[in-house]
Amino acid sequence: MTDAERVAAARAGDKRALARLVTAVEDPRPAAAPRRAAILAALADRPLGRVVGLTGAPGVGKSTLVGALAQALLSAGETRVAVLAIDPSSPVTGGALLGDRTRVRFAGAEERLYFRSQASGAISGGVARATHHVCRLLARLFSTVVVETVGVGQGEIEIVRIADTTWLVLQPHGGDAVQFMKAGVMELPDGFVVSKGDLGAAAGATAAALTSALGLIAPGAAPRPVIVTSAVTGLGVAELAAAIAAGPRGRLLAKEPGLFERWVLDEHGAAGLRRLRTLAPTTAAYLAACGGLEAAQLAFAGADR
Amino acid sequence: MATEPPPEPGFQLTDAGGAPTRDAPWIFRTYAGHSSPRASNALYRDGLERGQTGLSIAFDLPTQCGYSSDAPIARPEVGKVGVPINSLDDFHVLFDGIPLERMNTSMTINGTAMWLLALYVALARERGVPEARLRGTIQNDIVKEYLARGTYIFPPAHSLRLVAETYEYCVDRLPEWNPSNVCSYHLQEAGATPVQEVGFALATAVDLLDRIAARGRIDRAAFARCVGRLSFFVNSGIRFVEEMCKMRAFAELWDELTRSRYGIDDPKLRLFRYGVQVNSLGLTEAQPENNAWRILIEALGVTLSRKARCRALQLPAWNEALSLPRPWDQQWALRLQQILAYETDLLEYPDLFDGNPVIAAKTQAIADGARAELEQILAMGGVQAAIEAGYMKQALVRSMTERITRITSGAQPVVGVNRWTDGLASPLTAGGDGGVFTSDPAAVEQALAALDETRRRRDPGQVAATLAALVLAARRGDNLMEPSIACALARVTTGEWAEALRGVFGEYRAVTGVDGQRLDLPDERAAALRAQLEAFVAAHGRRPRLVVGKPGLDGHSNGAEVIAVAARHAGWDVIYAGIRLAPDDIAVSAVEEDADLIGVSILSGSHLELTAQLMAALAARGGADIPVVVGGIVPKADLPRLTELGVRAVFTPADFDLAAVLARMAELIGGSAAA
Repeated sequence: MTDAERVAAARAGDKRALARLVTAVEDPRPAAAPRRAAILAALADRPLGRVVGLTGAPGVGKSTLVGALAQALLSAGETRVAVLAIDPSSPVTGGALLGDRTRVRFAGAEERLYFRSQASGAISGGVARATHHVCRLLARLFSTVVVETVGVGQGEIEIVRIADTTWLVLQPHGGDAVQFMKAGVMELPDGFVVSKGDLGAAAGATAAALTSALGLIAPGAAPRPVIVTSAVTGLGVAELAAAIAAGPRGRLLAKEPGLFERWVLDEHGAAGLRRLRTLAPTTAAYLAACGGLEAAQLAFAGADR
Repeated sequence: MATEPPPEPGFQLTDAGGAPTRDAPWIFRTYAGHSSPRASNALYRDGLERGQTGLSIAFDLPTQCGYSSDAPIARPEVGKVGVPINSLDDFHVLFDGIPLERMNTSMTINGTAMWLLALYVALARERGVPEARLRGTIQNDIVKEYLARGTYIFPPAHSLRLVAETYEYCVDRLPEWNPSNVCSYHLQEAGATPVQEVGFALATAVDLLDRIAARGRIDRAAFARCVGRLSFFVNSGIRFVEEMCKMRAFAELWDELTRSRYGIDDPKLRLFRYGVQVNSLGLTEAQPENNAWRILIEALGVTLSRKARCRALQLPAWNEALSLPRPWDQQWALRLQQILAYETDLLEYPDLFDGNPVIAAKTQAIADGARAELEQILAMGGVQAAIEAGYMKQALVRSMTERITRITSGAQPVVGVNRWTDGLASPLTAGGDGGVFTSDPAAVEQALAALDETRRRRDPGQVAATLAALVLAARRGDNLMEPSIACALARVTTGEWAEALRGVFGEYRAVTGVDGQRLDLPDERAAALRAQLEAFVAAHGRRPRLVVGKPGLDGHSNGAEVIAVAARHAGWDVIYAGIRLAPDDIAVSAVEEDADLIGVSILSGSHLELTAQLMAALAARGGADIPVVVGGIVPKADLPRLTELGVRAVFTPADFDLAAVLARMAELIGGSAAA
């Protein structure tokens, strides 16, 4: 089957073809970039769906929440929902154990859902390098793409660079909120979820404390939602789905300049960034001039040599 | 059949003149049940006819996991490893002609233990038998289900509530019933050493009693009686001297613990009461007739010492490693017990080992080790914290790995497996049936027809009302026994009872032992395995993706977990799909994840049906090209059929060398993952 045939099949809902395309766009090797560009170009006529990031410390209940959330999004009227769940790779063996499917219970016959696991590779920040590429593909085929990040340490919320909206999941009495505040990243999420709401009053108390703390961080700013959920009882999940569905979508392309700068920084360092400034007035202009992300990466790397 | 219940095991029997003659024997049981209530009833009546003195009921996996026989996930498993029970109507058939008031009935049931007890009580009520006369045991040890066996339904806190409530109900209403068996049995099957077995079991018992005490629903005297009813279900392995010492250590520690921790003064309530199923782990597929001797020796370990003699014994059949036993195999196992109890002079003496310094020292060593193990777990915050921290699971995996290493290296001789492997063919397996039992597929239809009949005849209004009352009681935190009995009487089905409570408690989907589990292959072999994958990584620019899952309801997750963890160690990206999956769930996972290989583990005997369904589902979803390997207890006779279905490799208990398994898996993807 050619990629063109796979794209046609994936448009028609064929998950096998889609899965092969995901593998293709994930390929990190420079030689794979033209193939990725071609696949994405073949889907450029489709509107961009919404990319939602779900992040938080390990063990706060992200995976369990994702399962309930995906169902709730469909019930809230989303036509097709994809989940991309990222798990850490072993630094020693390179292998990964991707266990999130066990927490997510989709009926096998639910054709409107697609679930994909991704190993984080060696990249920090809770997001694999290939995450962006997979989002570029999935957002063309799904109305909402939920990205569940690796349980991050409290210093980084890398997913905000990709997602239209990012939700930080906290657990009752976890003390996470304080750590995130210390790290200065509480400004980044668009909303907050306090999980394990079935544990009783603790979740409500944590949510209240969080709401008042957020008021202190950004006084006068529009209040950001804080939703108490329980994947066990279903508490708050529909509310979260509604909040997500009411939020922005389709900004993935607008975020490409930022991601390109990040790529330049990773691959070519601060000197690379300075050089980028000399090549075009804005990064967006550079991308446009080169004809897209892959072409820009190729051009930039070529100019470097 | 006896007109009176048999005397309590260990009770001194007397002659006509009142002089003591010998001890009453332990209860003879045979773990049995399959196909349908009708077929199983015939089995039980035959067993009792032949001199069995108690029943031991094996339930099928749907019943254990809270599904009715007609649920889609249940269908391949109905009647496979035990009897399907859908409603009280099935219990009437199962116990037809068996007087409950004279029976001692053991039910191996955990996730749905309260439901099966409710059915038993409801049956007694409809028959007019006073509840107080019911004697028997429900296994009801949910902790080891999370650890090793996998037939849990609800999250731990809710499951443990149900266990506590059965105690609170039974303590006054069914005073001679054992509301749970703390099972160290499955720990040994999962690799536990004697010290771990005793230590972990005591920690589980402490957790349960502490929980009941903390709930404060019963008074001090009733609590003491709960302590007295807590019983154990223990394993007995081939090292029978050590096993006997283990039982003596168990009894000593229990006496000590119930006195010091719970202040129980009455020595009768501190008695260590236990039933046994001897070791299945050590039974071999090779030269299976040798298992008859192993079973005999293992029975000695739990009967020789009067002080630590079991209350009930069930022996596996010699061919258990091959299949479920046939009636004759079970009769042969029962005869062993009868000879031991009635022909020999074993029951005529007081304890044979008191004062023996070798036994005393060994017992002391096990007791000391187990005490330290118990203290360690209590220091971690108790058994639940220890499970969540992965402490027990990791300890078990380590012990199991060491055991396998000893067998592989030949340091631990296993006759017919790593020593004296050449032998004459056994006439026992030469019969027309190959020495194995095959279940009757028509019996399943019988079970389904009975379920339809129950649904047709019952009063739907009463069903809805009793289920609503159950849900309300569950929400309010009331004891659920009486509402469950009301459901039973209204002909609520097993699936409906469990589903109603799932709605309140939620459903627990554990990653079981995978989270935080580590498994170390020897470095040089792991390095060789990783090197084997490098060609793949170079060709594809990524790591190979392996989907691992368990189709069907069998929850013995160790095998799948060990493979998942070992494969990661060897450099695979492993997508662990979990347990209790419909074959189609695995096909969906494999297709969506673009798997390079699928590994499924099946121990329930349903491998042919489940594999056929998996292959069909893969084909339907466009994943027919993804290679599949199967691990589990697969009789040799089934290998050609699995190959025919398209399975690329089958790993059985004979393939205990993990590195070799992983090497074979790497070979399979050598050229199969097209770009």
